[in-house]
Amino acid sequence: MSRIGVFVCHCGENIGATVDCAEVAKMAKDFPGVAFSIDYKYMCSDPGQTLIKEAIKEHNLTGVVVAACSPRMHEPTFRKVAAEAGLNPYLCEMANLREHCSWVHYKDKSTTLKAAELVRMLVEKVKLNTPLYPIKVPVTKTALVIGGGIAGIQTALDIANSGHKVIMVEKSPSIGGHMSQLSETFPTLDCSQCILTPRMVEVAQHPNITLYTYAELESLDGFIGNFKATIKLKAKSVDHSVCNGCGECSAKCPIKKIPDEFNAGLGTRPAIYVPFPQAVPNKPVIDRDNCTYFRKNGKCGLCEKICPTKAIDFSQKDEFITVDVGAVVVTTGFDIKGTDFFPEYGYGKYKDIITGLQFERLASASGPTLGEIRRPSDGKIPQNIVFISCAGSRDPAKGIDYCSKICCMYLAKHAMLYKHKVHSGKASVFYMDIRAGGKTYEEFVRRAIEEDEVNYVRGRVSRIYEKDGKLIVKGVDTLLNSYPVEIEADMVVLGTAGIANPESESLAQKLHISYDQYHFFAEAHPKLRPVETNTAGIMLAGACQFPKDIPDSVSQASGAASKVSALFSQNELTRDPLIAFVNKNTCVGCFMCQSVCPYLAIEKEKIKAKDGSVIREVAKINPGLCQGCGTCVALCRSKSIDINGYSHKQVYAEVMSLFNERSLEYV
Amino acid sequence: MQELNNKIAELLTNNLVSIFISYKKGLNGKIKPAFFTKPNEVYENYFGDEAQQNLAVYVHKPEVKKYSKVGILANIFALKALLQLYAENQIKDNYLTIVTVNQDNKVIVFADFNEIESYIAQHQIEKNTNKQKEINELLSLSREKRWEFWVEQLSSCIKCYACRAICPMCYCSKCTVELNQPQWISVPAHSLGNFEWHIMRMMHLACRCINCQECSRVCPMNIPLHLLTTKINSDMEEEFGQIAGMKTTLDFALNTFKVDDYENFIR
Repeated sequence: MSRIGVFVCHCGENIGATVDCAEVAKMAKDFPGVAFSIDYKYMCSDPGQTLIKEAIKEHNLTGVVVAACSPRMHEPTFRKVAAEAGLNPYLCEMANLREHCSWVHYKDKSTTLKAAELVRMLVEKVKLNTPLYPIKVPVTKTALVIGGGIAGIQTALDIANSGHKVIMVEKSPSIGGHMSQLSETFPTLDCSQCILTPRMVEVAQHPNITLYTYAELESLDGFIGNFKATIKLKAKSVDHSVCNGCGECSAKCPIKKIPDEFNAGLGTRPAIYVPFPQAVPNKPVIDRDNCTYFRKNGKCGLCEKICPTKAIDFSQKDEFITVDVGAVVVTTGFDIKGTDFFPEYGYGKYKDIITGLQFERLASASGPTLGEIRRPSDGKIPQNIVFISCAGSRDPAKGIDYCSKICCMYLAKHAMLYKHKVHSGKASVFYMDIRAGGKTYEEFVRRAIEEDEVNYVRGRVSRIYEKDGKLIVKGVDTLLNSYPVEIEADMVVLGTAGIANPESESLAQKLHISYDQYHFFAEAHPKLRPVETNTAGIMLAGACQFPKDIPDSVSQASGAASKVSALFSQNELTRDPLIAFVNKNTCVGCFMCQSVCPYLAIEKEKIKAKDGSVIREVAKINPGLCQGCGTCVALCRSKSIDINGYSHKQVYAEVMSLFNERSLEYV
Repeated sequence: MQELNNKIAELLTNNLVSIFISYKKGLNGKIKPAFFTKPNEVYENYFGDEAQQNLAVYVHKPEVKKYSKVGILANIFALKALLQLYAENQIKDNYLTIVTVNQDNKVIVFADFNEIESYIAQHQIEKNTNKQKEINELLSLSREKRWEFWVEQLSSCIKCYACRAICPMCYCSKCTVELNQPQWISVPAHSLGNFEWHIMRMMHLACRCINCQECSRVCPMNIPLHLLTTKINSDMEEEFGQIAGMKTTLDFALNTFKVDDYENFIR
């Protein structure tokens, strides 16, 4: 015989102002199986918790219903209370009188009745609850960091410094990411390479970090604490254990006209190359798509002949390795729209309209002009530069809806750097709003306007065309009543929108993490869980979640690293046992549940006869992977899958309690 | 016919199959399924246009399953059903020997399910325009009239479950209707229970039904169940571009999400 206790919480005014909690408690006393019921102002407070504990002991309760706020908020609290009083924690359930009742209805008799019925449903459910015990899973204390930009570097170093192993995978031949391409960084104008390269070296030399460059994640299986990652090591065609990085091969390679990715297309590189002189590792790879040896069946091979250490190995093949990891941090960064996206700015046909990233390369000491601002078309020093912010951003009609966040700041920096290098030059910035939220950011922009005399024009540029070697920029100044502005510029820099990496969708599918409509990876909660994904054990950091500047990327990276370290501080993970299980007797093994499971938790199990022969195959749920979403339960035709804590029986009892025992007097 | 009989006898003689499922003539001249275990029984074998029954249903009956190797004569519907069953992991490899007779009366023994897949792709079943007409007539009625139509039709259901017994896709060892802890679907043959049963069955068949319409043929109360199956099949084709029994791999509209799903039912 069930002896259920009902505890109705006023939640201060939240529930008490709309629902007559004392009346709910009184009505609950008469529900079949209820041995005790009471209301209290704050059930989650210390006196409230004591009330529950004492009632469990005094009335020998077999189940508890706390009618209060959302279980998302306080279910763990009240389950702990039940456990402290000697009851199995999973015999305690919550009826949500706040979101499901008081917050959505006016004060009325029927509101109180609804509250009572919500309690009745839960009472019927708790009667069928069974004691459950947490699941324990071991933890592999190695983290996989995907992406070797500043976010990945920071994450890897933080995890490695807390004493755990890290495996870093970077798809390009060197780590460093976009930050290594930048010239100087706002708001302090310190040199990007000077603050980044020592950290790149640290990653390469750290005893706890294994670095795989020119590698990609092939697949990820498993679950929190126990992932299995397959990594594809692309063929470098150079034996890095032998190569001494002398650079002879790159200097002699006859193919020289390949657009240089590191210089954002402004320079060229050979087919055997190191992306930039400060690269880590500082050893070349062969770009097989452009190498004559691979394109013309073994002709050329010059690098092989001249290599002093015989490190060139044309026969290398892509290699696949499988590693066990306990957590994954995704730090794959972002991309920017190219100038070819904008019809009004010439679809990329004007050489002197460049992106912000290309300007970074022009301004960088390691760039194609060695830091001199020279325009791409003829190498002249531009005397008049126009910067256009929101190129593609905040443009629901033909670009993207969101603000790319970093462009206001870097365009101010660009204008400032230009003025520092070309004192006689004129710089104008067209903008919609100046978004300079951040420590000393506003001061930085003011400095550009006031000290460096950058001409800020609030308005959009409608068209740019070329005339007599000049770029005619036609815009308006909306602060002067939309007065038309026309500037004859030598060069135009577009602050193009930051967008998700083209591979982000396929990567998200490999990792089974969610992504938003723009293909940026989605965090578990925008405010309270910003570095975790909805898939347990997979974290995010940096611009793969949304365009971010360096300080934000680094802080998020440290946040992700601390989440990983917290996970690795335990030898075993404890999980709620509210997971699905299969009735082997009735499962017919159609495995439709397997294709519907978003967590890949369903496996095939062979049922064998005594002689070892297989009688049939049935579904089996991996308790480590199952998240208890219940999708398979809904799909299974023979109802052979059920779920702990939300069984068919319990749900049925909840629903039927509304139909069978409704108190008609109130209706 | 002789070629077919020789083939079946050969399979049985050489122990390539221990039972062969085919057709024979019954006492009243009606065609009924036959289960040959010895070559000397094969003379009874019959195959012709009247042999309509979908023999695939017997593949998952326990009486057949106890044989180690099974042969089956399959018409186009049975082939589709077998392919769908294979996709749903219900047929073990090297268990079935599947035989069919094509339009030119040539006997074909399939080596594997990929061959069946390409055979089915070449032998599309033409849409029965009569049935489509019946459905269009029903769809032209108002919602209330349609409800009345089905109340009238389904009230005659006696819950004999013949539709389930004949259906090659109803292979669950325990059907939802038999669950009583809790009892989701009421067992008595009253209107509510009948509606629950038939709607549930149709949902379970969505994108799995190969539309052989055996359920309609065997119904002792002549309930036009084929209207439901045909409609749900055409809906699945129109909304998701999926037809059951066409592929060796499971491609099931109700448990997959595709970016290019038409979604024109969301309005």
